[in-house]
Amino acid sequence: MEDLATAAIEAALKAGASFADVRIENTTTTIIEISDGISKRSMASRLKGAGIRAFIEGAWAFAQTTNLTAAGMRTTGESVAKMALATREKVADKFEIDGPTFQDHFKYKVKKPFRSISIDEKMSLVKMIDDQSRDFDKRIASTRSVYGDMHTELYIANSLGTNVYVENSIPRLISAPTAKDGTNRQRTFKSIGNRGGYEVMDSDAAQNIGNDAAELVIELLSSVAAKGGSYDVVMDPILNGVMTHEAFGHAAEADNWPSHSTVLEDKVGKEVGPEYLSITDDPTMDGKRGSFEYDWEGTKTKKRTLVKDGIFTELLHSLETASRLDMEPNGAARSQSFMSAPLPRMSNTFMEPRDWDVDELIQDTKNGILLCSYNYGYTQTAKGQFMFQASHGYIIENGEKGQMVRDVSLAGNILEILSKVDAIAKDFELDAGSCGKGGQAVPTMAGGPHARIIDVPVGGM
Amino acid sequence: MNEILLDIGTKAIKLAEKMGADQAEVYVAKSRAYEIEAENNAIKGASEQIDAGIGIRTVIGKKIGFAYVTTQDTSDIEEAITDSLNLAKASFEDPDFVTLPSSVGSYQKAKGIFNKEVDELSSDEAAILLIRTIDATKEKLEGKDYAIESAIHSSSSSSAIVNSLGIEMTESKTSISLYSYPVIKEGEDQTASYEYQISRNLNDINPEHIGMKAAELALGFLRPKIIESGEMPVIFAPLGASAVLGRGFAGAVNAEEVQMGRSYITDAFGESIASETLEIIDDGTIPGGLGTRTFDAEGYRTQRTPIIESGVLKNLLHNSYTSNKDRVDNTGNAARPSYSGLPSISTSNFIVTPGKGNLDDFIAEMDKGVVCRNTGDRPNMITGELSAMILEGYYVENGEIQHPLKNTLIGINMKDLLKRVSQVGSDSRTTFSMITPSFVIESANITSG
Repeated sequence: MEDLATAAIEAALKAGASFADVRIENTTTTIIEISDGISKRSMASRLKGAGIRAFIEGAWAFAQTTNLTAAGMRTTGESVAKMALATREKVADKFEIDGPTFQDHFKYKVKKPFRSISIDEKMSLVKMIDDQSRDFDKRIASTRSVYGDMHTELYIANSLGTNVYVENSIPRLISAPTAKDGTNRQRTFKSIGNRGGYEVMDSDAAQNIGNDAAELVIELLSSVAAKGGSYDVVMDPILNGVMTHEAFGHAAEADNWPSHSTVLEDKVGKEVGPEYLSITDDPTMDGKRGSFEYDWEGTKTKKRTLVKDGIFTELLHSLETASRLDMEPNGAARSQSFMSAPLPRMSNTFMEPRDWDVDELIQDTKNGILLCSYNYGYTQTAKGQFMFQASHGYIIENGEKGQMVRDVSLAGNILEILSKVDAIAKDFELDAGSCGKGGQAVPTMAGGPHARIIDVPVGGM
Repeated sequence: MNEILLDIGTKAIKLAEKMGADQAEVYVAKSRAYEIEAENNAIKGASEQIDAGIGIRTVIGKKIGFAYVTTQDTSDIEEAITDSLNLAKASFEDPDFVTLPSSVGSYQKAKGIFNKEVDELSSDEAAILLIRTIDATKEKLEGKDYAIESAIHSSSSSSAIVNSLGIEMTESKTSISLYSYPVIKEGEDQTASYEYQISRNLNDINPEHIGMKAAELALGFLRPKIIESGEMPVIFAPLGASAVLGRGFAGAVNAEEVQMGRSYITDAFGESIASETLEIIDDGTIPGGLGTRTFDAEGYRTQRTPIIESGVLKNLLHNSYTSNKDRVDNTGNAARPSYSGLPSISTSNFIVTPGKGNLDDFIAEMDKGVVCRNTGDRPNMITGELSAMILEGYYVENGEIQHPLKNTLIGINMKDLLKRVSQVGSDSRTTFSMITPSFVIESANITSG
């Protein structure tokens, strides 16, 4: 692969680019979906190709090719450089790309490689968890169970001298049953996603996910829609992760600085929340879905302390943003595949635990709502507006968990919400997710401890 | 080009059958997409994506497998066929699967979906359109502190679908989209908005309109406020209407979701589900539409399908699997993400029939209520409950916009929303998911704080 990358980079430089980089990817995936005991999707894919970028004086160009021959790489390298040169005269901000270089050959070791497991065995696992849901209760109306695995081999090289080979292996298991009682129908979604081989499926959480999802969806049959209004909200670790991801993480992605599209632009080094609040994005955690050793530009990753004791301390960088803002690169550039150029992205993002006991936190909440897990969330960083939806929750009355509620939406402003965090618990949990930005999805995790935010608007029916 | 794709498809079908498939279907596609991006008021970069791949669905008895690869090399295709067959063999039978579709009836050739000007758009011409958009935005924002993000995206693609039952279809399409996204700062306040157009034809794109409109909208969202919560009417501008209906309702008339009991209209087929003011059709035959095609993603002919007429649910959207299962006609709504997925179900051109009046008229007639220009939310598809943040919107009193909104949510069940539609406008526009005018609902629960 090194020869192919060199061919593209040399062709780009020869054509006039000042910087060029290449990602050559070979990814295989399997997806198995079973609904009501029947195979609905049995799917395999292979992504094989190269993404090439060229740069000159502030002008970028990107192209992809699946012609993985030296001649194919040269042709694409040259044409992408020409595209950058054609753009150069129209660019307003001139800058250069610089950064540390890395050479490594990283083999990711797993106990049970996906390819060593037969399709039949994977199929049986999905059938087993699908049956768990179906057999759980007669009110289970339909089931959907999905297994996915993805193994990636990625080679990254650039004209500064980086050349890095990395591997990744991430499995996923999802159970999404629906329940019916008369005309009352409910649905839920549970997922397991860690980094590793097929051995991740041996965990108790994975082996019982069908039961756990079924139990939750049956409980949801007794839920009601929340009444709208302002509440003191206790977030569970999963929802806290979503809040941290949507209401802060995205706004800390450094590509928002050159484009002036984050409300945090003037807040670097300043207070953005209470002094007991710290937020971390850490791709170096062992066995986590959002972890990786080198980013998609070949920069070694490290733990990023986004907020330390209430002060906004670090951004999520690509080589470009670190060069332009004159900061240290921290390996946050990621692509969905070779078909897209890398962007600054989150990895495993979480609020750091503090000292509240979870039970005491709920007892301390006189009239509020405990919100758990999530359906989805989104944000517009330029405006600072975000929203996310908890999958379910419980009304808290006089410090006691009461009536179950479902699909609770919460809207807020990035600059206002963190100062409303008034209590942070000492527990900790991360949940698997996928984050979308610029049409690219990447695997992430988010979480933290239970935490309380006071006086926030919650949508009602 | 299209002959080459058909040839690849035909050969792959023969190979799949030889290797043991009872039936096989191949989706082969090749596309070229070109994009120029601008940030902070100036062009920043360009990209060209040439994507060619193949997806193979194989059937053994009532067992189905699928595999795709991002190349069209013979050895990769052979590997994909092998994978697809192995997956089919290992699958659990689907008793409701009858057959892949065959070619029935006459196909109505899609008009206006391939535009030579878009196909041949040069990088210089694209850059000029983008610069005109940015300039138009700048002009409206003179004297303000702003940063404009903007991009132009054009694509030209060809696909071929071949199956064992004689379907051999191929078609080429173009599309172009252009947007402007200005961010404005004023003191401590910062806001942003956007405008875009998307079409199959270059002539439909008006950079000056996009640029000016984006700037006007952004200026209108400065100094947002919260309001007192309560029940009040809501005007959905076309983008908001498209979010609520294009995502929130189109998904509910997807026959697969209905069959699985995952749609809030499961028990409502053939009944009155909406206000008589609301009429919705799915029409894959209109000239130049974004969803216009001669055939769907399984090669089946496309058609015009009434969805809601006089408030009554008339049809669901079907592909070959769901129509065979329900023993009804296939509406030709199979959809897939190019070669990289199995067919699901989606709208073609999902159209709200225009009525009378426009957004401004509805605001002028409103005593007290809110306007939702856009939202990023979707309902719980099984209960129909929608809790949507007004991503861009205004508070209206006495027929006039009082101020933009922040931290404000609309709460309503989709089943009530459909019944409470009191007025449908004539200001239709094409969005990424449908063609719709503004519409008004009598009341919803508004929470703000």
